[in-house]
Amino acid sequence: MPAGHGLRSRTRDLFSRPFRHKGYIPLTTYLRTFKVGQYVDIKVNGAVHKGMPHKFYHGRTGIVWNVTKRAVGVVMNKQVGNRIIQKRLHVRIEHVQPSRCREEFLERRKSNDLKKAEAKAKGETVNLKRQPAGPRAGFVLDSSTLETVTPIPYDVVNDLKGGY
Amino acid sequence: MAFIKPNKTKAYFKRFQVKYKRRRAGKTDYRARIRLTTQDKNKYNTPKYRLVVRFTNKDIVAQITYATLAGDIVLTSAYAHELPRYGLKGGLTNYAAAYCTGLLLARRHLKNFELDQEYVGNEQATGEDYNVEEGEGKRPFRALLDVGLVRTTTGNRVFGALKGALDGGLDVPHSEKRFAGYSKEDKSLNAETHRKYILGGHIADYMRVLQLLKEDEPEKYQSHFSGFIKAGVEADNLAEMYTSVHAAIRADPTQQKTEKKAPAEKRKWKIQKLTYEERQAALVKRLNAVNGDNDE
Repeated sequence: MPAGHGLRSRTRDLFSRPFRHKGYIPLTTYLRTFKVGQYVDIKVNGAVHKGMPHKFYHGRTGIVWNVTKRAVGVVMNKQVGNRIIQKRLHVRIEHVQPSRCREEFLERRKSNDLKKAEAKAKGETVNLKRQPAGPRAGFVLDSSTLETVTPIPYDVVNDLKGGY
Repeated sequence: MAFIKPNKTKAYFKRFQVKYKRRRAGKTDYRARIRLTTQDKNKYNTPKYRLVVRFTNKDIVAQITYATLAGDIVLTSAYAHELPRYGLKGGLTNYAAAYCTGLLLARRHLKNFELDQEYVGNEQATGEDYNVEEGEGKRPFRALLDVGLVRTTTGNRVFGALKGALDGGLDVPHSEKRFAGYSKEDKSLNAETHRKYILGGHIADYMRVLQLLKEDEPEKYQSHFSGFIKAGVEADNLAEMYTSVHAAIRADPTQQKTEKKAPAEKRKWKIQKLTYEERQAALVKRLNAVNGDNDE
């Protein structure tokens, strides 16, 4: 009989709980609140069978578009054939984590706003763009001594091991 | 001794998954906790308040709590060991005392939230099922009963505390099925029996029984009811005493902070490591002692 392509096919390891973390889920998952427009990661928790997304969405990030009693509606993109479709899912909270993808950006935006305000007060211009890490700076070697190393000419008599 | 193959090998320990700390301690039922604390996500940050009732061997703890990511926050608390202040001298963990503690918690809590004038509750302890009615202004304070690990049988003391809180004016969804005095055959609550329990009638009956047995076992009455005897309370006075305690609670439910002196020297729990000099000095001392012994 062929393998079959059911809903949870090929998820033996993907949906299994990590080593020594089986059983009850810590309460933080239940105490978190989600707002519409927030970025969330989907990470399936195999211990909770309800409201599981399809395995395709495991590891994907989307935006919350709906909040219900025990679940969140998430919008994400999926490539189907030659185009990308926007997909709307409803996932239970246990399978969703707040995403940190925006964290760095929001912090940078905050600090940039502060720098801009400061610079404006002083009347200077400030470059807020991120620069890629360039090549390493050049340096001068001054306190080094030169030691010339030359090979010793091959001495047939002495170098031959075990005598000749 | 013969070689005994160890049952718990290293491999066993490597694969062993410990239960949560509070589960190992046997204190928290996580299945119940998840269901009591999860709030509907479309209610966002609205807290879900719990009326927590716990019994120790000599005390009753009643709290109104809610869960946050940082930990649970206790809004109000009431203990049975505060009841002597209101005139209850003995029997601090019985059904009647549980009722008093629940009542104290409710009145104290409502006073803190300025709801006590509007939600007076049930001033006469009739034992009937009483539900708070919505007033004109703010809605009644709703909390969910958190029983803990107790087996919820009919007549359990936690329901005594629940009844006290209800009569105090809190809105706790409940059923009268587990109050003392509920009859499974009749499928109804006998208010008279419940009232008897609230006012310590069952205790009074036992006191009378032991008084009659004074010829056979003179010590038993003394050993069981020493607290009441010291306060000069007899079986007939019990109901009066409890009603006066209820009245005293309603009159002044404020919490009194106990004066705690700061200790003279702060107690250090972390074992301080010796400094390098201290360790060297100790080593020198040890070497001298050893060398001294060798010389002798």
